[in-house]
Amino acid sequence: MLLTLAWRNIWRNKKRSLIIISAVAVGLCCGLFASAAMFGMWDSMINTTIDRDIGHFQIHSKSFEDEKLVTDTIPGFENILSTLKSTKYVSGVTSRILIEGMASSATTSSGVRILGINPETEKKVTSIYKHIIKGNYFGETWKNQIVIGEKLADNLGLREKSKIVLGFQGIDGSIIYGAFRVTGIFRTESSTFDKSNVFVKEDDLLKLIDSDKISNEIVVRLSSVQQVDSVYIPIKNKFSNLSVKYWGELAPELNFYYQSVVLQSNIFVGIILFALLFGITNTMLMSVMERVREFGVLMAVGMKRSRVFFMIIMETISLSFIGGVVGLILALILIEYFGSVGINLSAFTEGLSQWSLGTQLYTSLPFSFYPPLVLMILVTAVISAFYPALKAIKLKPATAIRTY
Amino acid sequence: MTLIELNNVSKIYDGTAVPVKAVDEVHLNIEEGEFTAIVGPSGSGKTTLLNLIGGLDQPTAGKIFIDGTDISTFKPDELINFRLHHIGFVFQAYNLIPVFTAKENVEFIMLLQKIPKAEREKKAIEFLKAVGLEDRINSKPTELSGGQQQRVAVARALASTPSFVLADEPTANLDSVSADSLLDLMENLNRDHKMTFVFSTHDNRVIQRAHRVITLRDGAVESDKVKDEILSQKS
Repeated sequence: MLLTLAWRNIWRNKKRSLIIISAVAVGLCCGLFASAAMFGMWDSMINTTIDRDIGHFQIHSKSFEDEKLVTDTIPGFENILSTLKSTKYVSGVTSRILIEGMASSATTSSGVRILGINPETEKKVTSIYKHIIKGNYFGETWKNQIVIGEKLADNLGLREKSKIVLGFQGIDGSIIYGAFRVTGIFRTESSTFDKSNVFVKEDDLLKLIDSDKISNEIVVRLSSVQQVDSVYIPIKNKFSNLSVKYWGELAPELNFYYQSVVLQSNIFVGIILFALLFGITNTMLMSVMERVREFGVLMAVGMKRSRVFFMIIMETISLSFIGGVVGLILALILIEYFGSVGINLSAFTEGLSQWSLGTQLYTSLPFSFYPPLVLMILVTAVISAFYPALKAIKLKPATAIRTY
Repeated sequence: MTLIELNNVSKIYDGTAVPVKAVDEVHLNIEEGEFTAIVGPSGSGKTTLLNLIGGLDQPTAGKIFIDGTDISTFKPDELINFRLHHIGFVFQAYNLIPVFTAKENVEFIMLLQKIPKAEREKKAIEFLKAVGLEDRINSKPTELSGGQQQRVAVARALASTPSFVLADEPTANLDSVSADSLLDLMENLNRDHKMTFVFSTHDNRVIQRAHRVITLRDGAVESDKVKDEILSQKS
């Protein structure tokens, strides 16, 4: 009956209650949507980074971690590849030769990372072949084909079929130069990646360095990011003499970005709730001041002050909770809608590419974000109600019942 | 049997520049079953005295015994609990809970007394029948006339099965028909159920029906007369 009383009291002044419910709902909806946009950006960054080059996890020799030399190869890499290929949830595995070198055109040169790949197995792991904007993905018949990024092509003044010379240190320490011809130019979401990575066939690279088959890096792609732990940990344990790292370790800036997104989202929603706190307090204070006589009567006829206090807390929680639920539903609808349709940010392509972000932003918010949020709403409601409730229980019944 | 006993009770309001002595050394005994009116001009201390008897305020000096219990030293929460079980209130402005129906208003007091739902619902209907509102059980206060609201207030006051009912100007906002009807109801309750009523009033209709009239002036008891004395004075 006390809850009934609290509930009916809320609707005594429908306009005022609806205004505060709307304020909570809109504030929360905006806060959640902004958070979902931030998480969406993070998702986009991770997915594009995994998709573009790092895969779900990678294997290197432990010595490769220090200097990243071509001589730091993975011992027995062919056995590892065949083990991985037969592992559950693994959808693609590829091996790479990695060399730091210089790419030179007729006019200028630039530092690059040369990736010697098997174009077919690479296709199952990364999506560079999907990003070709000029030419093709190793589709020509000539030797020493190279696929380069648009940014590098612009910097070096190269076009499709242009000649490019790669210079790098060979296995024996000597400097090796090799002439390649551009077969394809790619453009990914990251301009930094596009200007610093070139792809060549591993066979062409092996001939240049005069070596048998070697591997500096094994990249593994799983059917879903959710399976990372179940595959990566057993592999890490099995090949303990090697360095096995999942995407979060390979791109620690993404993990850092995720932590900062969580923090920013919480702060953002916290600020909104803090602002709403004053609005709710004001509304409840008005409600209490309008009912001074009634509180006087309730206490005069025997309602304990703790019950009066509880009633006001319940009224505030109900108001905030309704607003919170409406806000959550609105936010879920918006997040779901823009999570599938996306928000077109093509006007900001230049800036977004610096952050490895695509032009279509898909909103998403992890489920783990919601329970603390509900708790935050309830805490805000209780704090908001505290002062008005104190004001009510400090009333003297004898005076209050004569207040008009 | 003495129900209400005031021993040398004073109430001084010292929040103002000049302290105001609202009740001045009042000695008073009210017996069970009395139908008593406290009268006096505005500012004479009627309401303050009623507040003190009802445990809504604490005396500055003196002692107040209700049913033999000294309530003058009670803490606020103890007073609330005492009021819930011993005192029924009828206010000038009815003061019903506007979001509750007549039945819920009556039932609410019993809820505070932790009476089970089925029992309090049954009793609430009985009390409303007793005050002649069986056909308005589910009406909200705004759907009732002033007289009907005051009847609900009487039912609410009786619902806690109090030792006595304090009625502060209960007829002040009522037309004469409603006021007479309400007073008939209270008289009947007093006669048939020995319910003690203490009124604070200016209304002659209440004074005429009272068995005892206590007149206050400047916070002190100026006169205290029972009905026979009043009638003999009139004749």
